[in-house]
Amino acid sequence: MADRRTFRLMLLILGLVFAFLYIPISVLVGLSFNAGGMPTAWTGFSLKWYGALFANQDILRAAGNTLIVGLVSAAISTVLGTLLAIGVEIRRRKGSVLETLIFAPMVIPDIVLAIALLSFFSLLDVRLGLHTVIMAHVVFNLAYVCAVVRARLKSFDWSIVEASTDLGASTLTTLRRVVLPVLAPAIIAGGLLAFTLSVDEFIIAFFTAGAQRASITLPMQIYGMIRFGVTPEINVLATLVIGFSLVTLALSQRLNRGGLPGQ
Amino acid sequence: MTTLLSLRHVEKHFGHVRAVNGVSLDIRQNEFFALLGASGSGKTTLLRMLAGFEALSGGQILLNGKDISHVPPNHRPVNLMFQSYALFPHMSVAQNIAYGLEMEKLPRTEIRQRVDEILATIQLSALASRKPEQLSGGQRQRVALARALVKRPQLLLLDEPLGALDKKLRGEMQLELKRIQHQFGITFIIVTHDQEEALVMADRIAILQHGELLQCAPPREVYEHPANRFAAEFIGVMNVIPVARDGAKLTAAEGSLIRADIPDGMGGDLVAAVRPERLRLDAHACENRLSGRILATAYHGLDLQVHIETPAMPKPLICRVTADAAEARSFRTGDVLSLGWSRADTRIFAA
Amino acid sequence: MQDRKTLILIAPAFAWLTAFMVVPCLLILALAFFRRGIYGGIDYEFTFENFGMVFDPLYARIFLKSAWIAGLAALIASVVGYAAAYAIASMPRHRQPALLFFAILPFWSNYLVRTYAWIVLLNREGLIVGIARALGFDGELPQMLYTEGAVVLGLVYNYLPFVILAAYAPLSRLNPEIAEASRDLGAGGWTTFRRVILPITLPGVATGFIFVFVLSIGNFVTPALLGGGQFQMIGNLVYAQFLTANDWPFGSALSMVLIAVMLVLLTLQTYANEHASTGRQSTERADG
Repeated sequence: MADRRTFRLMLLILGLVFAFLYIPISVLVGLSFNAGGMPTAWTGFSLKWYGALFANQDILRAAGNTLIVGLVSAAISTVLGTLLAIGVEIRRRKGSVLETLIFAPMVIPDIVLAIALLSFFSLLDVRLGLHTVIMAHVVFNLAYVCAVVRARLKSFDWSIVEASTDLGASTLTTLRRVVLPVLAPAIIAGGLLAFTLSVDEFIIAFFTAGAQRASITLPMQIYGMIRFGVTPEINVLATLVIGFSLVTLALSQRLNRGGLPGQ
Repeated sequence: MTTLLSLRHVEKHFGHVRAVNGVSLDIRQNEFFALLGASGSGKTTLLRMLAGFEALSGGQILLNGKDISHVPPNHRPVNLMFQSYALFPHMSVAQNIAYGLEMEKLPRTEIRQRVDEILATIQLSALASRKPEQLSGGQRQRVALARALVKRPQLLLLDEPLGALDKKLRGEMQLELKRIQHQFGITFIIVTHDQEEALVMADRIAILQHGELLQCAPPREVYEHPANRFAAEFIGVMNVIPVARDGAKLTAAEGSLIRADIPDGMGGDLVAAVRPERLRLDAHACENRLSGRILATAYHGLDLQVHIETPAMPKPLICRVTADAAEARSFRTGDVLSLGWSRADTRIFAA
Repeated sequence: MQDRKTLILIAPAFAWLTAFMVVPCLLILALAFFRRGIYGGIDYEFTFENFGMVFDPLYARIFLKSAWIAGLAALIASVVGYAAAYAIASMPRHRQPALLFFAILPFWSNYLVRTYAWIVLLNREGLIVGIARALGFDGELPQMLYTEGAVVLGLVYNYLPFVILAAYAPLSRLNPEIAEASRDLGAGGWTTFRRVILPITLPGVATGFIFVFVLSIGNFVTPALLGGGQFQMIGNLVYAQFLTANDWPFGSALSMVLIAVMLVLLTLQTYANEHASTGRQSTERADG
């Protein structure tokens, strides 16, 4: 497509962009192993800050909370999102109201959804806590699960559903033995994506978790720590969070070949 | 032979569109039946109604005298082989074939035995554990056939079964399908837009146009005695010559007389029609004659097609010359050629 | 299958979205028309006051500044993102998926962590200052963290992968023969890019631009962390109304304005995409 000179220019652009994208994160990861803990001087490789982190009860509790929120909201949204995706795709009559409703959680600014839910819960006198965070997270998670499953359904050969019926299967049997197994990789990938999003989500959790320390999630903990400035512990925590996101992403990539999550 | 399936005034409307318009047909036990038509003729809709995937807007479908019009697809003793084959991508060949038997809740040993049997019949025993994506087009086609056949339906429906295969394989599979149909003794209804496929395979052909049944007859009769001009031109190649009528006398545009039997009760503008292979080079010995200049020749291996421009016709007259005759004399573009044919080979249709 | 059967599949998600998105959003829409109570509660009497306050010069300035920062971030991200996407698309085909994957990878790590990385780089005892010192620079370095520039940088950094993804889609769909046809007809490389490739692939960048703008204008994390305590964008203003100033009606009104801006932009984008679709369709047809 390009001559030699253009090709070199393109390589240069790619080099610069990748440097811009990766240097900041790499610095964090590197610093987490720095014995001195400060960014300006390398004082030797050490895992002592990892040790310190795992002794911090607040962080461990926040991580536990995040895990609970992530798992429960991913589970609920995977079921709801998958059913929704199948329902929407077999519906012949495409309702624009429904489409908007599914699209909305992905474009609505986090802060707006956050304050809307806060107002809603306080008006109904709902006690805030992890359960309210879960309810909130399912809203956007199910939209993402739905998007991933629908992307798979676009290339789904619907005639296999008719084939199953033709061979004597009921609607339920067809769903269980044909539709779900064929969709399984996309469903699992959607679930993993939901889990990752929920684990990383800060703003909505911040507004819907309430004031008590018992319901602080990991991103809320990180935000609090960052506001107090740079400490070696955050570098460690950041490194672990990055590593965790990468593992889940790699997993979902493997399962759902052909298409990045959310694409 | 006894009637297996009866269609009575079957109708299907999509909004204002009449996809199937009052079709009545009787299909016999063990028959190989073809529904032939261009796209949009309603043939696929009709097939899907037989399988149970489209509800009838009117009329009745009887199987062995019982009305099955409202029986859902999973309860009909009828199976469909899908155009896309619709193999389950997550199941092996054997699992695909076993699926329909499992739905009948048959004992495991029997399912195994029947799957093995049919795998042997379609010569795919070695590939039983393969996934569909690991098969060739021809192999997939046979798995799809086996999956439907293994249930031993009273009626097997095949939607363009050979459409996805290349031409050479298609020829082989046409004979294979006929052999299998004979071996299993099951009634086949095949949907196709390929008239040659219908002529080669079917015991009887139904030609559909705009959702209506034009003609239903054995291949030979459909070819030799088409019901109307559309059927004549749809099946094979047909030379159509506009004629003027004066009583029993028919005259082509350049003045030559066309001798033919005019069917009773035919009025209005007429055309005379003759098949290319009925045209003969010894024109003087024939009852009907036309001459013109050679426009082009097309070599087909078996024969030579000669296109002749004649004032009698808006389109070129097409003549098939056998390989022997083509060698005996030369056909050069621009040469004048006279062709003749007999009165018995002439068909008259409304224009 | 009929609509009635699919209703069973759709209903649970529909109910969830209604209860926890539609109703809460309608609620703040309603709140925006009530008056703030004297002690911070809500007086249920109808008023347009809250929307009037949005146009108060004090708040209007914050709005304009938010729009300026979001626009700047979106513009920079679009230019850089398009260049990166174009560069990826001009690499050998079999390498493109991996390159794209790694360009988007940072997007999937935590937003706070990515923002925090810039605090580490930019602060007074940070890496950039450290490197400058190590290189022998002794003079006074300008303040980098807690500036408008830092906020823009943080937004660009966080949303760049998004634009790359959006811009890459039409570039990868582009039939290479179209560019070759332009060259064949006598156009040079630059002219081909300007007259053929850019017009066809611009809708992807427009999508990216609008999303970055929408995500940036309502952002409160980046201004709070990289802009310092005094730095305010609409997101921070909304945050303050709910968590410190306790003026929920005004906060709701601000949110509604935010939503309105978003809706207008998304509608414009849909319109622009439809407008540009003729050119794109023809390339798709040539592809398929």
